[in-house]
Amino acid sequence: MRTRRLLATLGLATIVGLGGADVASAVEGAPPPGEGGAPPAEPIEHSAEECIHILEGGGAIDDCQEAPNPILPELNELIWGAASFLVLLGLLSKLALPGLRQSMDARSERIRNSLDEAERARTEAEAVLAGYQRQLADAKAESGRIIEEARQSADSVKADLLARAESEAEEQRRRNAEQIAAERDRVMSELQSQVAVLAIEMAERVVESNLDRDANIRLIENYINAVGNGSGGPDGAGGQKAGAGSRPRQAPEGNPS
Amino acid sequence: MPAMPSLALEFPPVSHVTEWPSIFGGDGPLAVNKVVILMWISVALVFGLFYAASRKRSLVPRGVQNFAESIWDFVRDGIVMQTIGPEGLKFMPLLVMMFCFIFVTNIWEVIPVAQMPVNARIALPAYMAVLVWLIFNVVGIAKQGLFGYLKSVCFPPGVPKALYILVTPIEFVSTFIVRPLSLSVRLFANLLAGHLLLVSFIVITAALFTVGPGLAIWPFSFALLVGLTGFEVLVAVLQAFIFTILTAVYIAGAMHPEH
Amino acid sequence: MELLHVLAQQEPGELAEGLTAVGRGIVYGAAAIGPGIGIGIVVGNAITAMARQPEAAGMVRTTMFLGIAFTEALALFGFVLSFIVAG
Repeated sequence: MRTRRLLATLGLATIVGLGGADVASAVEGAPPPGEGGAPPAEPIEHSAEECIHILEGGGAIDDCQEAPNPILPELNELIWGAASFLVLLGLLSKLALPGLRQSMDARSERIRNSLDEAERARTEAEAVLAGYQRQLADAKAESGRIIEEARQSADSVKADLLARAESEAEEQRRRNAEQIAAERDRVMSELQSQVAVLAIEMAERVVESNLDRDANIRLIENYINAVGNGSGGPDGAGGQKAGAGSRPRQAPEGNPS
Repeated sequence: MPAMPSLALEFPPVSHVTEWPSIFGGDGPLAVNKVVILMWISVALVFGLFYAASRKRSLVPRGVQNFAESIWDFVRDGIVMQTIGPEGLKFMPLLVMMFCFIFVTNIWEVIPVAQMPVNARIALPAYMAVLVWLIFNVVGIAKQGLFGYLKSVCFPPGVPKALYILVTPIEFVSTFIVRPLSLSVRLFANLLAGHLLLVSFIVITAALFTVGPGLAIWPFSFALLVGLTGFEVLVAVLQAFIFTILTAVYIAGAMHPEH
Repeated sequence: MELLHVLAQQEPGELAEGLTAVGRGIVYGAAAIGPGIGIGIVVGNAITAMARQPEAAGMVRTTMFLGIAFTEALALFGFVLSFIVAG
């Protein structure tokens, strides 16, 4: 910190010192007084100094009043200035600036190209993306369609199957009913034919074993039980008859279904 | 030292702070003095900057190339495009070179050891103003023809007929006489005034540093000197910019007459 | 001191020199009045414009410097004229 401040002070002092030296050198730069001129101890004013020089150069005393005017260009500075300007212009426009401009143009061209390239790539990618999205949407629609189709066909199959099953069941039921009816008819007719036989047999047995009244009654009851709709199964000898009697009992059960 | 040591303020006359004796080359038209040497160094600096920048040519500009390219961009976007438009791009080398050259020749004002703005001598500004005068007149004549150009200069449209008695001489004088005069005098006088200002404050500061009681106000004088040095840097940039943009404005006026 | 010197010696050349200095001062001072006011107006209006439209500040600043340059030229003519008067 301190060294920096010191350096800054030194630098400024140098500037001021050089500035002073600058003015001094400018002053000294003026033509020096004549060799055998005024004694050095006596200070000479600048105007006097100039005047002495002019007089030495063979000028009149009035020339001392006409200080060189700063707004008139010096010929040598004009020539050198023009030469510097033209030389610099020529050098720059021939050697330096075309290269600079070329590199700048090349860069902007390159940047423009890469921007165009990026733009193109972006458009391309967008197109590809749109394509993919379209394909995806297509695939989705396709799969939906397939699923729907499958569902529809499944529905139709189901309906078909149901209808068929129902019709089959109906057919079955109808056949069963028919069968049952036929069976019943057959059983009934068989029963009818057997009733006659059995009645004759019963009569035969009644006649044969007319031993006691109780036996008769029991016999008749058994028979009636066996033939009719008796709920209690016939026991003993009536067991064999009960097997035959159980068949007609199925018909009333099958009918309600 | 003058006879009065208590007041060592001896302002050198103007001729002594701006006129420099010949160093070599005699006293003739080819005499080389400090100003001419500064011109040479300026040419070398500007050319060196742009030459180095054009040699490197890397894709990503750095250092000197970046600097040169930002100058180019500044002149193109800040000066040419705003005044002439795209067709003024062919004047880019002239304007870039003018801007840089004027700036470098100006900035010698505050560079230690040199401390002499080249443009505080009227020679270079006068030459450049004459050159600009030639350029914009040639451009105007080439674009509009001699009579068309004179007509567009002297008879600006949209003015009542009777006023042309007044307007035409004013326009003629202001375009063909005042323009180059003001262009050169503006640059020259700004730099000369700045140089005189700096010299005055340097003399005052140096004088106060040696005198006993005056030392109390020396810091203020010194601070003002530092501030003025900064101000002169601003002036150097600004005058280069103004000279260049006025050149562009004059060329633009000759290219596109007011409708 | 300079004035005393002039008065004491009464040399016509020195008197003329002194008057020339006075003339220079008057020429430059008079020439600086108008441009001083003018630059004030230019900068003041530029500041108003920049405050109203900060986004246009760059353009306004450039134009302001141009206006200053045109106005300032008059003062500089005076400055140069003071040398012509002296010569």
